[in-house]
Amino acid sequence: MSPSRRDFLQILAAGASMTMATGNARRAFAQAAPHVVVIGGGTGGSTAAKYLKLENPALRVTVVEPNRQIYRCWGSNEVVTGHSPMAEITVTHDVLREKYGIDFAYDRVVGVDPTARRVSLAGGGTLDYDRLIVSPGIDFVYDETEGYSQDVAETTIPHAWKAGQQTLTLKAQVAAMPDNGTFILVPPPVPYRCPPGPYERASLLVEMFRITKPRAKLLILDLKDGFTKDQPFMLGWNRLYGFNIPDTKMKNMPADVVTHSAPGTLEWVPGAAGGKVVSVDAAAMTVTTQAGETIKGDVINFIPPQKAAKLAYDMDLVDGRFCPVNGETMESLRHAGIHVIGDAAIAGDMPKSGYSANTQAKLVALQVNRLLTGQDLIEPMYSNVCFSRVSAEYGVSIADVFRYDRAENKIVKAKDAGGVSPLDATHQINRMEAFYQAAWMENFEVDCFG
Amino acid sequence: MRRLVVLGAMMLSASAAVAADADYGRMMGQTCAGCHGTNGVPAVSYIPALAGLKREDFIKAMVAYRDGTRNATIMNRVAPAFTDAEIAAMADYFAALPPPALAPSFRLAPATTE
Repeated sequence: MSPSRRDFLQILAAGASMTMATGNARRAFAQAAPHVVVIGGGTGGSTAAKYLKLENPALRVTVVEPNRQIYRCWGSNEVVTGHSPMAEITVTHDVLREKYGIDFAYDRVVGVDPTARRVSLAGGGTLDYDRLIVSPGIDFVYDETEGYSQDVAETTIPHAWKAGQQTLTLKAQVAAMPDNGTFILVPPPVPYRCPPGPYERASLLVEMFRITKPRAKLLILDLKDGFTKDQPFMLGWNRLYGFNIPDTKMKNMPADVVTHSAPGTLEWVPGAAGGKVVSVDAAAMTVTTQAGETIKGDVINFIPPQKAAKLAYDMDLVDGRFCPVNGETMESLRHAGIHVIGDAAIAGDMPKSGYSANTQAKLVALQVNRLLTGQDLIEPMYSNVCFSRVSAEYGVSIADVFRYDRAENKIVKAKDAGGVSPLDATHQINRMEAFYQAAWMENFEVDCFG
Repeated sequence: MRRLVVLGAMMLSASAAVAADADYGRMMGQTCAGCHGTNGVPAVSYIPALAGLKREDFIKAMVAYRDGTRNATIMNRVAPAFTDAEIAAMADYFAALPPPALAPSFRLAPATTE
């Protein structure tokens, strides 16, 4: 463990003996009104706080979050293309505070003592907890590709994979792209936040280009040979954007798939064809692939590999790049009393998605209340639903239910269920999935934040 | 789940078993809320409300989605994950929730006289 991490974890150790004397009194009060502290006020943390209060209004719930405004990632592709304004993806905690009586500390966590169960804040305050829920999100790995860096990401080659300033930078770059320009999109290696996200982004950009920049090209340089919902996406691309489906993805495709004589705006180069980007040159605005090709882009959207947010590292919750948890309670396997949810957690078969974070949050809220009130744990179930738009009027989805495999201590997909949109779906279904994507987003925002 | 219910019936009093089933129904039902809304009431009504749905209607719909006799977008993929007992527990949970009030826009405008 690094010295700084030790400091972070034991920042209050010097004061521990002092607090021992008052510990009993504090515990007695805590029993009357258990206190749950939630670190992170994004999708996972906000849902957890709300559902803790729904489950047991007597609990005291405090969320620690540095930002009063959250830019939710889901829906941010639509901001890049100009389908929606930034305001559409901006959310606050007002309803959670006013309607549910959740306390918010707009502050940064500078230390956690997992033994004394105390969080210390940059502003000088401390919070004692009975259970801690951490939903810290992700950070990026900048040093695995030659020529790429955090500085490059924040200036010339934005990832826009956390909604915020980079979303607007990418939007401006797209708007300024020449009519015959090339947009290079580089998806990250698994596991990463929002598995279909890069491909939905490509879809919506191509839909936009065909109207605003019909001579533009979008090139996806992938290190993978497949991706979530790849067949439904490619079927939509074939129908809408002149995309030729590779032979490897033709299994069970419907009869209306055609081979376009002049393939259109969108091209996907898989890992097997050397699609992996091995270096980036921000000055020249080029990328070089494993196949040895150097390609110039007018806009380059390089989405880097991902890891748990820095806070999870500081709290010593990480093993590898993410946080191992018990699949029954999402409690950290590294520190007792701390539950990790959302994209930072290793949640078995569950993808890193907002919907996953939301159902993990609900399950943890339920289990934490049961632990604090002396009830038996409940047999968990989780779900993930994710709609993506191939166009404004053509949607595809993935839906799965997950159970807890006690023998393996792992969250696993329910058998004989779930999966992606069927390839023989009617046009009506494709259209309804786009319609439901929009309805889902509105309902989901309220389920998390309202 | 079936095993849980049997175990529950053996070990717990009848009312405790009912409470355990209610908790289980709520836990599963909350996984639906991301689309269908908190407590089964969606913020926008394009996705149907589940709150206040009659028990038998919920069961009939879920079984039909599961066996493919009723077509939907995602529900044909979701429903097969659940056993009969689980569907029944969710049906009880949603049936007991207060149904959404009609939005003002759905009501007839009051009659006006010129």
